[in-house]
Amino acid sequence: MSEVSGDLPLDAPAGRGSAVYDDLKSRFFPTPLSGLATLAGLALAGWILWHALQWALFDAVFTGPPEACREAAGACWAVIHARWRLMFFGLYPHEEHWRSALACLLFLGVIGASCMPRLWQAGRLAVLWIAGFAGFLLLMRGGVLGLSYVPQEKWGGLTLSIFIFVATVLIGMPLAVALALLRRASLPLVARLAGLLIDGIRSLPLITILFALAVVLPILAPGALGSKLTRVILGMALFFAAYQAEIIRSGIQSLPAGQEEAAKALGLHYWRRMAKVILPQAFRRALPPTISQLAIIFMEVAMVMIVGIFDFLASGNAAYGSGEWNFANVEVYVFIALVYFVFVFSLSRYGAYLERRMRVGK
Amino acid sequence: MTAQPAIRIDRLDKFYGHYQALSQVSLSVAKGEKVVICGPSGSGKSTLIRCINRLEEHDAGTIDVLGTPLDDRTAQIDGIRREVGMVFQNFNLFPHMTILENCAMAPMLVRRQPRREAEAAAMHFLEKVRIPEQALKYPGELSGGQQQRVAIARALCMRPTIMLFDEPTSALDPEMVSEVLDVMVALAKEGMTMVCVTHEMGFARQVADRVIFMDRGTIVETAPPGAFFGNPRHERTRAFLSQVLAH
Ligand SMILES: Nc1ncnc2c1ncn2[C@@H]1O[C@H](COP(=O)(O)OP(=O)(O)OP(=O)(O)O)[C@@H](O)[C@H]1O
Ligand SMILES: [Mg+2]
Repeated sequence: MSEVSGDLPLDAPAGRGSAVYDDLKSRFFPTPLSGLATLAGLALAGWILWHALQWALFDAVFTGPPEACREAAGACWAVIHARWRLMFFGLYPHEEHWRSALACLLFLGVIGASCMPRLWQAGRLAVLWIAGFAGFLLLMRGGVLGLSYVPQEKWGGLTLSIFIFVATVLIGMPLAVALALLRRASLPLVARLAGLLIDGIRSLPLITILFALAVVLPILAPGALGSKLTRVILGMALFFAAYQAEIIRSGIQSLPAGQEEAAKALGLHYWRRMAKVILPQAFRRALPPTISQLAIIFMEVAMVMIVGIFDFLASGNAAYGSGEWNFANVEVYVFIALVYFVFVFSLSRYGAYLERRMRVGK
Repeated sequence: MTAQPAIRIDRLDKFYGHYQALSQVSLSVAKGEKVVICGPSGSGKSTLIRCINRLEEHDAGTIDVLGTPLDDRTAQIDGIRREVGMVFQNFNLFPHMTILENCAMAPMLVRRQPRREAEAAAMHFLEKVRIPEQALKYPGELSGGQQQRVAIARALCMRPTIMLFDEPTSALDPEMVSEVLDVMVALAKEGMTMVCVTHEMGFARQVADRVIFMDRGTIVETAPPGAFFGNPRHERTRAFLSQVLAH
């Protein structure tokens, strides 16, 4: 109530209610025919919503064995209840799941913290992320402090997906900046080579890159570039960097030439011009496509399944694929979609917040 | 040593592709001297002063700034840019930094001044251009005249020996021109070495020691303002002046 009276002047004209009514009427019922269309649309939306709710909530089964679902008409959320650990933690040893959960929460915390403008200083972010990675590896890998050792092959589920995403972006983003700057280098040979590399990677499907690094490389050069997980992350980072480099470059290209000239005239050398004047502005301008690229790469992490890495989606497949829950595949995928939605939607909203915030500093 | 000029340009050539923007330009500017450069659009005025801090590279001839020759050695160029301030037609303030940060950044990074010292100096120069109260705003929140005064303060914060101005008032609304010119006149009175590309002839009369007229990449005429405006020797100068002064 207080909100409403705060917004509306107290001495609003008496006809106000009917003004709203007139507005609604002219928008949705201007003629009998479009009035009918409006009603039909409402009815359809209501019908869909009703059935969705019936399936997802009213007729759904939330716990119990597979048999409990067989009789029910609605969704079988019991599969999530029974198998959520597999989806979140993959093949990580059951009694150590708390470590994987903690590691996942730790990363989410570090991501959340680095979203706060207060921490935006190279030093603070570096400390935060080094500590974050150290903590993550300590928890996941173990082998010290009385934690039992868990090999990388056993990592999986949502925790692994988030780890791959974060590592991809942390390696890929600096690489993208480097590629973008190299492509603008004044030495033609350097610029050409950078351009060739970027365009080359962009012409390859991610699957090809992952296959080459995960399957082909160990045959040609056994032991090169670390474990399979490491190689897959490097491949993802390379893929991400090629696209992101062009996004950053377009941001740089959109700046007036006078910005760099002014920085030169003040005696700033190349790296300082880039770090203080060009890149901060380029990133601001490139923010919307950067957020899109992050969302895309978050989804693309699911590709690692193809080279046998047990990410969130692969764990989801396993969650219903073991016989007794075979019928509940839709529920599992809806749940996975929901989790993806929460992450990517938050990312987009955060991007919108950043844009609002930066408009102030313009 | 005192006779050494601040800037010595000798038979300068500059090409953009096949187009010759400057041909055989020679010019010497003494310390403390104020030189105004004018001329029709495309005559090479900007190109000439942008060569002085090497925003453009010249193709032939030599430029010495404060006794140091300009060549490919980057360390020397950075050293010279530290001594040469520049003010642009479009201000070119950094929009993502506050006014204070715009002014204090370069002294902190290039001159290695501690933050407090750099900010105190920035406030000093912002007071000189009479906008200290805007220090915490962003460039987008200021008027054109205010932005250009900030740009002058930003250049001064580096304590330059020479100041270059490239049409500093021609992007401004008429009512803001004088506030910028006032700052430049004050700067001239303090003995700063100044090279100004401008068509503000009142300013040239008031502060210039010499006025230079350029056309088609060459210096056509050089004279003290009295002689330049009262008795121009070349036909092209006369034609140009009659156009500019007609306003
Ligand atoms: N980057 C460039 N590439 C190609 N040609 C250029 C470039 N910059 C300037 N020119 C050309 O060089 C000539 C001189 O340009 P300059 O900018 O020095 O003229 P100006 O005297 O400053 O003119 P204005 O009064 O319009 O600023 C012009 O014909 C211009 O077209
Ligand atoms: Mg010009």
